[in-house]
Amino acid sequence: MKVAIAAAVALAVLVYPLVLRGPYPQHVMILVLLNALLGTAWNILGGFAGQISLGQATFFGAGAYTSTLLFQHAGLSPWVGLVAGAALAAVLALAIGYPCFRLSGHYFAIATIAIGEIAGIAVTNWDLAGGAVGLFLPVEGEGLAAFKFGDKLGYYYVIAAFLALSLLLAAWLRRGRPGYYWRAIREDQAAARSVGVPATRYKQLAIAISAALTAMAGTFYAQYVLFIDPPSVLPLSLSIQICLVVVLGGAGTLVGPLLGAAVLIPLSAATNVALGGSGKSLDLVVYGLLIMLIAVFEPAGLVGIARRLRRR
Amino acid sequence: MSAALVAQALVSGLLIGFVFALIAAGLTLIFGVMEIVNFAHGEFLMLSMYLSYFLHAGLGWDPIAALPVNAVALFALGVLVYYALIRRVLRAPMLAQIFATFGLGVFLQNGAQFLWRPDFRTLGDTWVTGRIALAGVFVSGPQLTAAAGAVITTGALWWLLSRTEVGRALLATAEDRQAASLMGINPDRMFALAWGLGAACVGVAGALLSTFYYVFPQVGGVFALIAFVAVALGGFGSVVGAFAGGVLIGVVESLAGVFVAPAVKNLFVFAIYLVVVLLRPRGLVGKQ
Amino acid sequence: MSGRVALALAVSLAPLAVSAQPKEVVIGAVYPLSGNLAKVGTDIKDAIELAAELVNEDVDLPVPLGKGKGLTNLGGARVRVVFADHQSSPERGLSEAERLISQEKVVALMGSYNSNVTLTASQAAERLKTPFLNADSTSPLLTGRGFRWFFRTTPTDDEFSENFFKFLDEMKKRGKPLKNVALFYENTLFGTDVSKFEKKYAEQHGFPVVADVAYDAKSTNLNAEIQRLKAASADVLLQASYTNDAILSTKTMKELNLRPQAILAMDAGHVASEFVPSLGKDAEGIISREVWALGLGAKKPIVQKVNELFRKRTQAGRGQPIDMDGTSARAFVGFLVLADAINRAGSTDAEKIRAALEATDLPGDSLIMPWRGVKFDPKTHQNALGSGILVQIQDGKYVVVYPFDLAAAEVRWPLPAWGK
Repeated sequence: MKVAIAAAVALAVLVYPLVLRGPYPQHVMILVLLNALLGTAWNILGGFAGQISLGQATFFGAGAYTSTLLFQHAGLSPWVGLVAGAALAAVLALAIGYPCFRLSGHYFAIATIAIGEIAGIAVTNWDLAGGAVGLFLPVEGEGLAAFKFGDKLGYYYVIAAFLALSLLLAAWLRRGRPGYYWRAIREDQAAARSVGVPATRYKQLAIAISAALTAMAGTFYAQYVLFIDPPSVLPLSLSIQICLVVVLGGAGTLVGPLLGAAVLIPLSAATNVALGGSGKSLDLVVYGLLIMLIAVFEPAGLVGIARRLRRR
Repeated sequence: MSAALVAQALVSGLLIGFVFALIAAGLTLIFGVMEIVNFAHGEFLMLSMYLSYFLHAGLGWDPIAALPVNAVALFALGVLVYYALIRRVLRAPMLAQIFATFGLGVFLQNGAQFLWRPDFRTLGDTWVTGRIALAGVFVSGPQLTAAAGAVITTGALWWLLSRTEVGRALLATAEDRQAASLMGINPDRMFALAWGLGAACVGVAGALLSTFYYVFPQVGGVFALIAFVAVALGGFGSVVGAFAGGVLIGVVESLAGVFVAPAVKNLFVFAIYLVVVLLRPRGLVGKQ
Repeated sequence: MSGRVALALAVSLAPLAVSAQPKEVVIGAVYPLSGNLAKVGTDIKDAIELAAELVNEDVDLPVPLGKGKGLTNLGGARVRVVFADHQSSPERGLSEAERLISQEKVVALMGSYNSNVTLTASQAAERLKTPFLNADSTSPLLTGRGFRWFFRTTPTDDEFSENFFKFLDEMKKRGKPLKNVALFYENTLFGTDVSKFEKKYAEQHGFPVVADVAYDAKSTNLNAEIQRLKAASADVLLQASYTNDAILSTKTMKELNLRPQAILAMDAGHVASEFVPSLGKDAEGIISREVWALGLGAKKPIVQKVNELFRKRTQAGRGQPIDMDGTSARAFVGFLVLADAINRAGSTDAEKIRAALEATDLPGDSLIMPWRGVKFDPKTHQNALGSGILVQIQDGKYVVVYPFDLAAAEVRWPLPAWGK
């Protein structure tokens, strides 16, 4: 049954841009897939391993800036840049994890916020990285090799592929030893340690993978919008949005980030279009309410609600 | 690198640091008593500032004079938030607790933007204006008043916690909830009180800030981040620690801004935070 | 026989029916309508809607397309503007531009105030081959991209910065003892860009820069920044701030007793409508670059007339009459430039509109701006006839003080010492 639903959804995703050909609906779906990817990456660290990170934007920015700078200064293909960005982000993650994983719960979360802020301030004041002005990529050039497409179809399938790969990775990890150890760490780290679980090593694994995937999304974003600056790829609000998506959908589940993105992103786009002229932030008021309700009534998010309904 | 420059930097840093300290004190009280971080703390500050603004614009009340109104109103808000929201997530996993207050923050911030528009507002002429010059160091009236108000309020909070029956009951609940209830202390009431007092602190801070800072829906974010860092720096649960943390941040920010570069002053704040917290994970004066 | 003739006639006449003039021409506008810049976006919206109304109605004003209803060369087609909110996000600007072009089928776009959003929104227009007119983003890089479809009417930070130094040269000639300058700017795109040009022209004109202070507009306080400026003790302070930080920094300057001979501000916050009311007497004497001033009405009556209409419109829509400012004035003019081009093109064909834009040559008298006119450079599509002015706050009002031939009053120099 689950497999049938998954196959149907996958098919719908594949066929969507061929049915809805306008660039706007395609754009909204690209954002959904991008956020689902970011959510999946966060989920590995936060949902599976229980380490709440509120600084994912650091890795997103690392990916975006690495590939863009390598392209601008060394003419390297964005695909090479993608790999380089992911690698850099993973190394950064390990460097952050090494000291920060000694902190528990709330302290860790706030440390990740601090790191995100440091990254934002550092890049804003770093001329080589474009500083506050940002970096932009040329509009010309097209094709898969150039990681640039004239219409949205190319981008759509690339991000869909990235998401699919990430989901497979997440599923595989969850089913294997990493997932088993992560669950133990999340439930009770001290107890896990006492039975021999190498907590630090596995937490490091989680943050490195999470960072690499997030950086991949960052490179995609850079190639898609063709302009990056600190407020668009390194802000706290992005880190927060990533969490919101997963918590809404259901942290710790594979489907959670997908559900969360599928609900939150179109909601935001719709309220923006509907109220755009009056600029009333109503969509965010609704988000806030949703998050509170989820936290109070169903911390397992939409997935939890779906499970409850099915059990009835 | 004149002495006057250093002195001015220190004084300015201290003054704003006291305000940070008050905001942090409220935050740490809540955490100390029930181990919940109020991620909507900044929004409480924002609401208090708007209250001062509307009282001033609509009724002509000076923010300092109307300060008790802010304190009482925010106390009520804190208690309300406890009973309506927090109580329900006391036994929930940490993630749920984080997101409960987080969602509240998003709701309040955007609600404010929806109702009152994103415009920045400043209070016009208030009682306290002008500046004093002491040995080449300039101290602005509003900032001095705010600092004094912050110190007094934090002191009052400390006195309440350590010298009164109620305060001691709160501390007992923080130490050991079960033991406290065995002694006849109602934890539920204590939690509500903690929220009320924590919010009242930030309410006072908001009234004080409104005399010299601008009021807008996102103002909470700026100060809250500093408050979180101050609390973590000082040690979650310790009012003394939060006070020290706030003051330290104010001074570091000021010195870094004057002697290194203003654009990266916050970078120093966050860096110091990381260094301290990694060397002493429980914070400078931390308890739990 | 007659049947086949009828059919032949019908077939030959069909193209005429198909190419009948459209009843309305839709133009898109992407601006920050929510968030921090909501007020700016709303002002722009009101200005554009006013301009559209003047085009659609037959009015007795010497503005382009004032006479006659609608676009006269398109059979009187009415113009309709569709607005989109980009919330200061470059990604949103991009997607909204695309949505307006592909779904709302706009024939041209205007946008977007924030330079970084204009950058991405115009990229979308370039890819989708739609004319994009920018009236209010001053970052020079926008016209340095070699785009075919992007046009800009407003002068850039390059010209504005140079203007400061021309002015300072003049003041020096008049015997004012000024030797050096300090730069004080918010550290996002706006301030950073401005500071680069100011540094360039400072060097060219021989004014050493004794302090270069970038600050975060979201700071909780600006004490450290002002202290650094005080330590450098420059004769003239060149500042680039948004509204809130302009107000906060001025208050802090008073508190810390910083008083250079003059403060030259780069528009934005210092000319925002809240600046003078919030600071009262403390704002006196500050000089700002502007693109427009109500005071221009003394020499150009059309300025007064349009402002009156704007006041009426804002009174009706927002409950209180608001005067125009540099941003709304430029949006107003930008829209008319675009409508005029579409009219001259005589069609909604994108390439024809683009060619008409390139051929634009509007005289200064038909504009409410202090410009010599609107004429786009053939390569960069930057309006070559634009220019800035300097205004000074005198007795609570913004008075034009430079260029001297447009000035309404003498410059008051230096800044008065801080009062109580």
